[in-house]
Amino acid sequence: MSSTTNTVPVKHKSISYAKWGYFFIAPFFVVYVACSLIPLFSTFYNAFFENYIDGLTQVGPNFVGFENFVTLFTPRPDGRLEIINYTGNTMIMWIMGAVPQIIFALLLAVIFTSDRMKIKGQPFFKTVIYMPNIIMAAAFAMLFFTLFSRVGPVNQMIQANGGEVFDFFNNKWSARGIIAFINFLMWFGNTTILLMAGIMGIDQSLFEAAAIDGAKSSQVFFKITIPLLMPIIIYVVITALIGGLQMFDVPQIISSGSGAPNNTTKTLVMSLNAYINGASKNYGMAGVISIYLFIITGVLSFIVFKFTEPKKGGKK
Amino acid sequence: MKKRVVSAVLASALLVAAAGCGNNNNNSSSSGTTTTTTTAAPSNNSADTTTTTTKAEEKTDDAAAPAASGVSIATDTGKKLRIGCWNDEFQGFFEKYYLGTKELHEGQGDYYDKAPGLPEGVEIEWVTTPSEGGAYQTWLDTNLVKNASASADDKIDFFLAEADYITKYADSDYTLNISELGLTVPSTVYDYTVKAASDRNGNVKGGSFQCCPSTIIYRRSIAKDVLGTDDPAEVQSKLDSWDKFNSVAAQAKDKGYLMTGSFQETFRVFSNNATSPWVTDGQLTIPDAVNEWKDQAKMFLDNGYTLKSDVWGQEKTDQMYADGKVMCFFGPAWYFNFCMTNAMDPEKGCSGDWGICVGPQSHFWGGTWLLAATGTDNPGLVADIIKTFTENQDVLEQLIVVDGQVPNSTDLVAKYAADSTYGSDFLGGQNPLTLYNTMTSSIKWENHTAYDQICNEKFPEKMLDYFIGNCDEATALQNFYGLVNESYGNAVQTP
Repeated sequence: MSSTTNTVPVKHKSISYAKWGYFFIAPFFVVYVACSLIPLFSTFYNAFFENYIDGLTQVGPNFVGFENFVTLFTPRPDGRLEIINYTGNTMIMWIMGAVPQIIFALLLAVIFTSDRMKIKGQPFFKTVIYMPNIIMAAAFAMLFFTLFSRVGPVNQMIQANGGEVFDFFNNKWSARGIIAFINFLMWFGNTTILLMAGIMGIDQSLFEAAAIDGAKSSQVFFKITIPLLMPIIIYVVITALIGGLQMFDVPQIISSGSGAPNNTTKTLVMSLNAYINGASKNYGMAGVISIYLFIITGVLSFIVFKFTEPKKGGKK
Repeated sequence: MKKRVVSAVLASALLVAAAGCGNNNNNSSSSGTTTTTTTAAPSNNSADTTTTTTKAEEKTDDAAAPAASGVSIATDTGKKLRIGCWNDEFQGFFEKYYLGTKELHEGQGDYYDKAPGLPEGVEIEWVTTPSEGGAYQTWLDTNLVKNASASADDKIDFFLAEADYITKYADSDYTLNISELGLTVPSTVYDYTVKAASDRNGNVKGGSFQCCPSTIIYRRSIAKDVLGTDDPAEVQSKLDSWDKFNSVAAQAKDKGYLMTGSFQETFRVFSNNATSPWVTDGQLTIPDAVNEWKDQAKMFLDNGYTLKSDVWGQEKTDQMYADGKVMCFFGPAWYFNFCMTNAMDPEKGCSGDWGICVGPQSHFWGGTWLLAATGTDNPGLVADIIKTFTENQDVLEQLIVVDGQVPNSTDLVAKYAADSTYGSDFLGGQNPLTLYNTMTSSIKWENHTAYDQICNEKFPEKMLDYFIGNCDEATALQNFYGLVNESYGNAVQTP
């Protein structure tokens, strides 16, 4: 490199390759700062401004301090606080989908990795269970919307068997159930693959030792698999939680954006979307909801992390 | 431990941000704007929605030059005519009567020979954004604001606007005064179409090719069964007030029919007759007429006179087949071609089994206006297009004879209204224009605001929860107000 320079003024004690390290990780940081960090801070910044369109007239941006926060946390005249309602909807629909998703994925992962069962055609099954994840959520939602509509095939079957038409999307629990089921169907394959990787990472000799000691399958599962799989489970839960809090496309399409029935399927991001993509392009309110979402996500992730952390004491 | 917490927080921050990007993608893909670039070439199948870009074929006839209309205000420099729209209704008429696409005229005469066509080298781009939930308005708002400074090919030259939101655009600086295009208001147009396209100072910003008096469209066979007659005048005498309408609904129920196909069906009749606007000085108030609709819709659903379907829903349109049970639909002339294709189905449909009458209250619904966008680089061409579709009596006559529309021409409507040989096969030979002609004088343009679309679209939707018992009335109203707050921010205050 320095072959063109003749003078060697400083003696190198050692050659530092560190700069190459920085060089190679630079692209990530550049992209991260440009695409994530700056938008993140600008969201916080926007939350303190009144900034929307009235008809074709731009209002603001005017600095309004915490006014948007106050608006978000002001109850409606009948005493309901929409943001809490939307948070509740989001969490309920996430739990309805995520709990079965993780249990089911865990079961499948154990079955697929079991030495005793030796399931044949594993690649085939793995592909099949992962398949729903490849399909666009919007397409999935459209499909279920058509299936369960009042004139759809499900109701036609119910009628053919002498039943009454059931209005799936105007009943709180069936509407939420369908949304949760779509999310479950889309994500359990992904979770299965992650958990399988985790289980395969556990030292096989532990399983063999347990088998020699005469442990039952359930004992192996609860005493070996689960504890050693905990880091992966935490990862799965936290990523699922973050994804779940941002639930948007499925309920948006299932309820045509209205959050019907009675705003019980309206999620936080649907509200955010109504502000930012609605008639007024309300950056201020959208910013406040984003911050709220950010804080909720942080707090819940922290709780999950704290709750599942291995207990201290004994050996260290 | 500490390290782990820090890493978890950092990781979640990163994921939040990354997922945030994901949402943006969702949003942009869900806006659903499609772009179709078509041409003047008669051989090109322009009904295809895939993007095709071909050069305009030179028209050989002498009718080609748009400048022939005497416009000398500005010169056209643009090579691309970019048009904003929310469906393909006008696109069809434009291709038929302006471009003269021959295939569209099959079996309908040779008007394509007279179509002006585009000047050589100009290419058309239709940017279609569905209007539901205000998506089309959002697209317009974003693009009109920067139209003057947009590059030549990205400039919107003109766009279509509907009755629900034309006020917002006509009363703004983003549309051109027609006098700037060298146009004047033709003497033959209906007054309300001019008022709708005017700003607060009375400057006219565009024109419409249609007039939209809306009526009851009833099934003759069902009317015969329920009312003992299918004659439009007699049916009208039994449906000319809301009290009569409601009691006929009960009779229809007794005979196993439904009065309407959607609980929202009569909404436009009530809202169009409202005596106060949705929004006054930034304050939302529900018009009395809309409250009357709410009581009727609740009663209709409770008694099983109608369906839970929304006004565009499949559940309702399925009822237009021959085996349908619905007696009354409400709509103007565009409704036949656009929403009643099931009724026209050669096998399952029931064309000819329909009749129209005014119903309890005269009203109009919708309508498409053409507005020139400020900043257009094809003012001459745009002027000629607006002139063609608002003033050219030959084109407007085609709209009656071939397309069964009510064109924006008092002369032509009066002429065909009096023509005893003119009748619609779909309506069992009835001459719809005779009826429409009596209604047009009562159409008034009043109580319109820039906020109407979301209110008219979402109020009935949110009230359904109350109608079917998902929540009480006050909660349903608060849900509606909440939605207005999300849509309009501080611009509209709600109770």
